[in-house]
Amino acid sequence: MTSLAVAFDWSFITENGDELLAGLRRTLEVSAIAIAGAFVIGLVLGAARAHRVPVISQLAAIYVEIIRNTPILVQIFFLFFALPQIGIVLEPFTVAWLAVTIWGGAFNTENFRAGFEAVPFRFREAGSALGFGRLATFLNVTLPIGGRIALPSSINTYISVVKNTSLMYVISYPELTTTALNINALTLQTVETFTTLAVTYLVIVWSMSASIRVVERRLALPEDAR
Amino acid sequence: MSFLPDWAEPVLDYMLRVGLKGTLQIAALSLAGSLVIGITLGTLLTIKFMPSRALIRLYIEVWRGLPILVTLFLVFFLLPSVNPRLEFDALISASIALTLWGSAQVAEATRGAVQSIPKEQHEAASALGFGWIGRHTFVILPQALRRLLPPLVGLLVNIIQNSTIAQVIGAPELLESAERQVERLAAPPPIGIGEVEAIPIYATVMVIFFCISFPLTRLAAYLEKRLT
Repeated sequence: MTSLAVAFDWSFITENGDELLAGLRRTLEVSAIAIAGAFVIGLVLGAARAHRVPVISQLAAIYVEIIRNTPILVQIFFLFFALPQIGIVLEPFTVAWLAVTIWGGAFNTENFRAGFEAVPFRFREAGSALGFGRLATFLNVTLPIGGRIALPSSINTYISVVKNTSLMYVISYPELTTTALNINALTLQTVETFTTLAVTYLVIVWSMSASIRVVERRLALPEDAR
Repeated sequence: MSFLPDWAEPVLDYMLRVGLKGTLQIAALSLAGSLVIGITLGTLLTIKFMPSRALIRLYIEVWRGLPILVTLFLVFFLLPSVNPRLEFDALISASIALTLWGSAQVAEATRGAVQSIPKEQHEAASALGFGWIGRHTFVILPQALRRLLPPLVGLLVNIIQNSTIAQVIGAPELLESAERQVERLAAPPPIGIGEVEAIPIYATVMVIFFCISFPLTRLAAYLEKRLT
């Protein structure tokens, strides 16, 4: 057990810091695109599901069930390794953001659907009584209230989106995890590599979870709107 | 089955016999490990003793916070480099990684379920002469289990889906078996057929996972509804 006392070689950071930062930047880049995309998909399809918009609602349900009931790694394999069979060849970067956007969009559709459906029906009736049309009622009543209800669960989905970008290792897209594994293969500084990798993810994920608590407090609905 | 091409039957046979079997093995090991460790840690977390609570909290937040793939790399690459005796094969490594992640989920859910049991139940059990362990084993946990069931079914779905990350380190599970067959078929005869059949094979993997997950997610939703 003497080897348990391996010291952390700090020169690892100075020597590989630039490369790791480049990997981290790509992780954050892909995550940012996917979070924005998942937000839009979730908002639109979640509203369509909650308001039972014909055709779109059913198609959205099929999309959500397929994505939620198949592993995201298989979805990535399909986009990257299967689609070329019919001539669709996508860049690793494209697959990276596309796969997590599609995945996050499906989970976010459910988050927003649940949020919008939690808005009491009498609020929407009140909107109609004030002369609002369906769209105006949605924008002025359902969205501000239901959106806030959906916020914590949607941030949880964004956290999972960031974590899932690590799976782009299988398509060799040089985000944080792939970069770390490449550095490990070259330097064989396994302890340093994996400690740095794990700590970096924990910092990102823990700050995002902390933001849920802040957001929940700042955007809490006034008592009479619950 | 005559409408299927000639190559389909041996491929499907291999995917079910080797691949699905590996997936179910990983899932069973991980589920068992997650339940034992998770329920124990979750129950201990309800004890108001600061040091033990802080340690269990750390355990939960670390394994819930890390991407499962990174946890898998920690188990598969970091552990043996720290101590050569901690070297496990791919299937076991994947089960350990999924157990770390799953037990953190179970612990958090158990804490909530145990705390939802009214304190009168604790008092009544104590009055009957149960100690802490007897009280929790025979009175509190059986009641908490009812509340725990829907999230546990959800966890099973996630464990089965996440077992695909074992493919990354070459463990024989469903996705890995599919990849091997895609590569084999691409080879010239007599090994393969010299053609890429990635779309039907990976689509089949999706269908198999869907057929397992969909009924389970429905079941979880039904249990959740019945509970409230």
